[in-house]
Amino acid sequence: MQNEVTLTPEAAVRAVMQDILGLSAEQVADFTSETELFGALPELDSMAVAGLLTELEDRLDIMIEDDEVDGELFETFGNLVAFAEMKVTE
Amino acid sequence: MLVPPLFDEMNRMRKLLADVMRELDSLGVGSFLPDLPGTNESLAEPEHITLVDWQKALQVCAQQHKISHIASFRGGALALPEIPSAHYWIFSPVKGATLLRMMMRTKVAADREAGLTTTIGDLSTRAASGPLELAGNMIGPDLFTQLEVAQIPEWEKQRTVRLDSDQKPADARIPGSPLWLRAEPDDDPAMSVAIARDIAVWITA
Repeated sequence: MQNEVTLTPEAAVRAVMQDILGLSAEQVADFTSETELFGALPELDSMAVAGLLTELEDRLDIMIEDDEVDGELFETFGNLVAFAEMKVTE
Repeated sequence: MLVPPLFDEMNRMRKLLADVMRELDSLGVGSFLPDLPGTNESLAEPEHITLVDWQKALQVCAQQHKISHIASFRGGALALPEIPSAHYWIFSPVKGATLLRMMMRTKVAADREAGLTTTIGDLSTRAASGPLELAGNMIGPDLFTQLEVAQIPEWEKQRTVRLDSDQKPADARIPGSPLWLRAEPDDDPAMSVAIARDIAVWITA
């Protein structure tokens, strides 16, 4: 077995957005902390959010509770990365 | 024998699996894809199905057709029976709890759009006392409890294959995209070919 590679929260968020939303690697690589998500990406609907959270949990080995998820979390790419970074240090 | 993914992931990988079977055929490897009890054309009542039913059905199937090599996809790994002589090929396996959480989140989101406030906690409580409908699947209390603790199997004769983008331990990685996560079913011909080739090499090894 090849060993597990530790993934930074930011890399995980980018990879999950690409996988769930079917975005191109270039599109996701261009995301900055100010990039708007909810409302700006038509692919990001509430079902995609469900998938995104579950995949982030799986890849970063974290647990996200219902009450931690609000509209603000998906406002910008930066918010989502900051949240993931906070969760992995918990 | 190919064991399909579970629940809605199966719908999103149906085309991929059909493409894999065609490619296997062109490589001279015969394969078949049984319907798990309670899914597709099975007449069994979905709400009474348990993981053990799936494992038993696959075991009978393997014995009947003298199958030595079993390839499973995603949650299909959780339905695998333990057959001492069998070789297992496991693609992007997933824990039962992850599948349940994903489906419960989807249900919570759908309820919210319908003006209802549901939580994952509520759904878990309801699942304990009766069948729960999640993403169009009826899941009985026994299956729910079994899935909550179902871990990825680790057998001696097992080859675990994951996508390039997946960081978890694996024996081999192939390029492709996680079609099971997509909102719309899609295909990935290059990935189907890569999967079929890996299976063909594994079977003849």
